[in-house]
Amino acid sequence: MRSDVKTWIGAGVTAPVRLLAQMADVPLRQWQRLAGRGGMIGFFLLPNMLIFGVFVLVPLGINFAYSVTGGTAVFLPDRSYVGGANFDRLLDCTNHFDPNSCRDDVFWIAVWNTVRFVGLQVTAMTICAMITALILNSKIRARAFWRAVFFFPVLLSPVVVGLIWRWILQRQGLLNYLLYQFDAEQVNWLTERGWAFTAAVGVSVWAHVGFYALILLAGLQAIPRDLYEAAEMDGTKPARAFWRITLPLLWPNLLVVIVLSLIRAVQVFDEVYVLTGGGPGTSTLYLTQYIYEVGFASTLRNSGVASAASLLMGGVLVVLTLLQLGLTRWRDRK
Amino acid sequence: MGRIRLENITKNFGGLQVLKGINLEIEEGELVVFVGPSGCGKSTLLRQISGLDKPSSGAILINDRDVTEVSAADRGLAMVFQSYALYPHMTVKLNLAFGLQNAKMPKAEIETRIADAARMLEITPLLSRRPGQLSGGQRQRVAIGRAIVRDPTAFLLDEPLSNLDAELRVSMRAELGALHARLGATMIYVTHDQVEAMTLADRIVVLRGGQIEQVAAPIDLFERPANRFVAGFIGAPSMNFLTPEEAASLNGTPPAGAALIGVRPQHLEPADSGLTLTVTLVEALGTETVIHGEIAGGKRLLLTLPGHRPVQVGGQLTVNADPARLHFFDAQDQRIG
Ligand SMILES: Nc1ncnc2c1ncn2[C@@H]1O[C@H](COP(=O)(O)OP(=O)(O)O)[C@@H](O)[C@H]1O
Ligand SMILES: [Mg+2]
Repeated sequence: MRSDVKTWIGAGVTAPVRLLAQMADVPLRQWQRLAGRGGMIGFFLLPNMLIFGVFVLVPLGINFAYSVTGGTAVFLPDRSYVGGANFDRLLDCTNHFDPNSCRDDVFWIAVWNTVRFVGLQVTAMTICAMITALILNSKIRARAFWRAVFFFPVLLSPVVVGLIWRWILQRQGLLNYLLYQFDAEQVNWLTERGWAFTAAVGVSVWAHVGFYALILLAGLQAIPRDLYEAAEMDGTKPARAFWRITLPLLWPNLLVVIVLSLIRAVQVFDEVYVLTGGGPGTSTLYLTQYIYEVGFASTLRNSGVASAASLLMGGVLVVLTLLQLGLTRWRDRK
Repeated sequence: MGRIRLENITKNFGGLQVLKGINLEIEEGELVVFVGPSGCGKSTLLRQISGLDKPSSGAILINDRDVTEVSAADRGLAMVFQSYALYPHMTVKLNLAFGLQNAKMPKAEIETRIADAARMLEITPLLSRRPGQLSGGQRQRVAIGRAIVRDPTAFLLDEPLSNLDAELRVSMRAELGALHARLGATMIYVTHDQVEAMTLADRIVVLRGGQIEQVAAPIDLFERPANRFVAGFIGAPSMNFLTPEEAASLNGTPPAGAALIGVRPQHLEPADSGLTLTVTLVEALGTETVIHGEIAGGKRLLLTLPGHRPVQVGGQLTVNADPARLHFFDAQDQRIG
């Protein structure tokens, strides 16, 4: 009975699709007769290539063009060619580890802030995702519910994430209110350098941990239960079973988590920007925010420098992405 | 030493009682086979013995020590899993060593034990390979090797051969038998394959629906099945069951109270007088001929004759059996005599 209804609904839903497919059938046959089977590949790829071209390749090209021009004009033909001057400005330092010695000190502050952020965030993310996945994989009550709870933040818009946590962490926010109720000392979570950095890391971990936990959970569930029973018969203590069985078998998934979260951490922007606005001072200013502010938010928009910075960051991301691709291939071969 | 005693073991999963009071005594060095249809609780019972699972009630004693609350690791048993459950990321050698390392055994001792087991199982050339690089039969050997190196009180094997192809299954079966003879260790072997049970076992435990139907040596099980279920389960093709009226023309007289008469297909032979059947199907296997037929009243009957017999489908055949070969069951399906 229920399956009848399902079939019926399914037929209703697919009917328009089937109609479209039938309508497309005749012209496609004609096309295939003309272009041959090889030509069909190009035909089916075309829509995607168009979108990719319009929204990725063309902007990338324009970005290149802007990066070698100067001035404040918006339209490319109005801008003057400056060669590598923008890159010179960004990379000119007597000591790259000391932003004060750089011509564009804010860029290098953003660079080193990003490096620190990535280091801590990826570590924290991997550990939190691992712990979450282990808990979600164990025999707890209402497991499906907890899985949903941990995955839920992933579905939130980053701006919403930033706002929620700002309400919680701001000077007169929820957390301080609770501390006040318990007569504990209140903290300016978002305006003290150390706490603001910690909050930025913590919130971005909270927002994305569900996604990475899911990757690890899939890996954990792919490990046969028999192995743990064999290990139990072999007298393996739970901690040793984790290090000697779970971790090695989960390693491919763990690598994916590390690389993916690395790539995303480098691009950190929205939720932290909403949360702290890069402050206090420049203590949570990261690369994407630097690019955004130089290129769009400041009164003197410097699209040239912003484009050059984007390209530098893009270079780093390309390297990381290639790393991820390589690792995925390696994993699939295993 | 490896004496195992099960006292009134029950196991419930939620509202479902899967083991319904199992009592059994397994002697030192004995190879006991748990056999029964799929889902009868064989694996569950083995898991209670192994310590991977705890019974809902009852006690498990190993060498007179109550181990019901003792962890799997501390029972001194080794298990061979149907899936082999080899650690895929470790070499064969590490697979064998892992349990010994857990027990903090000295390196030299581990090396000797692995070398011995590998020689016994002829897996020495495979020691540096990973399980993924082994064939099914080789994995099976490694799984057994992992149990052997532990020098356990008893071996527990859960359908260890059912993932092998038919040919390999037969040869591994013989090897397991030889291994048991050589090690002299207690083994509990679970299978749903009665040929495995009959060939390997010192004693067979027939399970059905979470209860023991009969415990006996293979040949006793075949010759003196305790009830109708065992009679039908052991032996292939299955025993024929006839009502006293249907069996009236057979030699011999049923004892008082016999509600059912059983006769194995192998024990029926052509005769001048007896049951007359109409042949419906003939399966010529070369070594034997399986004849399906129907007697008056429509009851189906099977008999197997040695060698090749030219029998016509649709023809009539009169068969009879040695009265000593008949089995009698009462109205409660229990054996009489
Ligand atoms: N963990 C479990 N939870 C619920 N039911 C189980 C569990 N393990 C086994 N069962 C049930 O117990 C019965 C016996 O299972 P098992 O011992 O695996 O049978 P088999 O004789 O085929 O090895 C089956 O009906 C099975 O569904
Ligand atoms: Mg089973």
